[in-house]
Amino acid sequence: MFKKILIANRGEIATRIIWACKELGVRTVAVHSESDRDSLHVRFADEAICIGPSPSAKSYLNIPAVISAAEIANVDAIHPGYGFLAENAYFAEVCEACNIKFIGPSAATIQLMGDKAEARAAMKSIGVPITPGFDGVIEDEEEGARAAGAIGYPVIIKAVAGGGGRGMRIVRNREEFIASLPGAQHEAQQAFGNSAVYIEKYIETARHIEIQVLGDQHGNVVHLGERECSIQRRHQKLVEESPSPALTPELRRSMGEIAVRACAEIGYVNAGTMEFLLDEDKNFYFMEMNTRIQVEHPVTEFVTNTDLVREQILVAAGERLEFDQDDIIFNGHAIECRINAESPVTHAPSPGLITALNLPGGPGVRVDTSAYPGWFVPPHYDSLIAKLIVHHRTRDMAIARMRRALEAFIVEGIETSVSLHQRILAEPDFEAGNFSTRFMERFNKAQDRSKRNPQHAAQGAGE
Amino acid sequence: MNLKEIKDLIELVSDKGFAEFEIERQGFRLRISRFRESQPQIVHPASAPIIFSSGIPGTPELLSSGAQRALRPAEETPAANQVTGAQKSAVKEQPAPDSETQVIKSPIVGTFYRASSPASEPFVKIGDHVEPDSVVCIIEAMKLMNEIQAEMSGEIVRVLVENGQPVEYGQPLFGIKT
Repeated sequence: MFKKILIANRGEIATRIIWACKELGVRTVAVHSESDRDSLHVRFADEAICIGPSPSAKSYLNIPAVISAAEIANVDAIHPGYGFLAENAYFAEVCEACNIKFIGPSAATIQLMGDKAEARAAMKSIGVPITPGFDGVIEDEEEGARAAGAIGYPVIIKAVAGGGGRGMRIVRNREEFIASLPGAQHEAQQAFGNSAVYIEKYIETARHIEIQVLGDQHGNVVHLGERECSIQRRHQKLVEESPSPALTPELRRSMGEIAVRACAEIGYVNAGTMEFLLDEDKNFYFMEMNTRIQVEHPVTEFVTNTDLVREQILVAAGERLEFDQDDIIFNGHAIECRINAESPVTHAPSPGLITALNLPGGPGVRVDTSAYPGWFVPPHYDSLIAKLIVHHRTRDMAIARMRRALEAFIVEGIETSVSLHQRILAEPDFEAGNFSTRFMERFNKAQDRSKRNPQHAAQGAGE
Repeated sequence: MNLKEIKDLIELVSDKGFAEFEIERQGFRLRISRFRESQPQIVHPASAPIIFSSGIPGTPELLSSGAQRALRPAEETPAANQVTGAQKSAVKEQPAPDSETQVIKSPIVGTFYRASSPASEPFVKIGDHVEPDSVVCIIEAMKLMNEIQAEMSGEIVRVLVENGQPVEYGQPLFGIKT
């Protein structure tokens, strides 16, 4: 078992990783930027090293600084969290070269799954269903337009080096394709340093269903069920839950088996998530794989009674999985709300000093956060300040629990998305479990309408 | 200068047994140094735990393990996340902030060395005058010895870290009277 782990991250996930380390008796080293000096994770780590100024590129993404810190602190392993360097194959390689265990899959796996076109091709060759698309990168607009026509519009142009919903364009006909292609390539270059794009059929009404997988270094792979993540604004998830109201036990078994088989084929080690689209006919298609722990992992932890970060550390230390597929029992229903430091109406970021904070408690409530009263939320990083997760026996009971937890979630000094979550939870379609990835689009339209016509506010977003 | 030219230069320096070689052209400066030993000497305080002190007032003070930690840092507490007896006194020696005394801070994370090799003289001693491009110390990061320049003119009045001590970004290294 590792003696010391460096957490190459910040915010709530850094704190989360420290909790798992403490329970395992592993010493922790926090690295932080200058503006994160007073962070919660810095306080609770055994050692802390400032690695750079506020900009992520000079601190959390600064590989030499992170590695240098790991060396002077003499750590055995680095946990990269999510975002930042978590899916940076080069960073995983550097760790290996420096004899520091990277807590995650191999650099080769990260590389394979990080190239979205390669990942699709690999999955296709294994027999995993993928959205109909053109195999390969779009080199020129004529070839692309022909391919798009063959797939059938609407089609979505995606960045090969992308992910997380960024750098995507939906086009509905040949003219739109030709017009959008250069822009999509430019955006991809700007955001990911790689202008290569590929195309897929765009499924109008689909759900985003992801399967949590976990593999050890001895070839054992399991799945821990699905997470329903269709409630997204501009591809950024707002609310997640498990199980999905749309999945039958048979569908769960099929998707889980395929995910496990795919992982076994590519030799996947550590925690990962396979993202699928589920269309209205309950066909599922592989979208992409995230080779890291995900923000919404607590939802799975509640339903399966596991500690995924702990499992990541154990797997990386060479331990066998303590459970096999039959040991994994799904129990109850969990929902997570991502609480962001932003205006609940305009979504503009709201950094600043938290002057008061009350976190909900009571049965079946979990809060993963980096916030505390008196903490100055820095403007330099993403706006997630807390995750509120609830668990109960049924979906209806979990919704009621989330509502009362949100009511008790009080933050003063900055704006947060709490009231947005309350409105989402109040939507009839959400209550009914009847939604697709278009939910937020419809929700926003209904919100706009009710602002213009207050007397229609009671009608809700149902369409 | 391309990679081949740099490789050729390195071979030249090696073959001819030069200790150091520096070349400057428009917009470009290359310096090649060879150490006597094949591996850089790394001095780690063998049993003493690692200390990272930022020297910046107001940062959290570590209470004994197991005790609860205050959420807000107390004002004016000495900066350290972990200290032993010997180094605690080093940490407490903060440069008195006055109008003339500045601090040279570490621009990178690494291990601080006062001289280019264990047998060499320190780059600077208390009382030495430095210019902006004077090398004041070496900070080793990932086996690379980085020469740190003063970036200001003045007289060295304090040495704030010990030879072989790990330092973080922004850590005060020297007090300098400008």
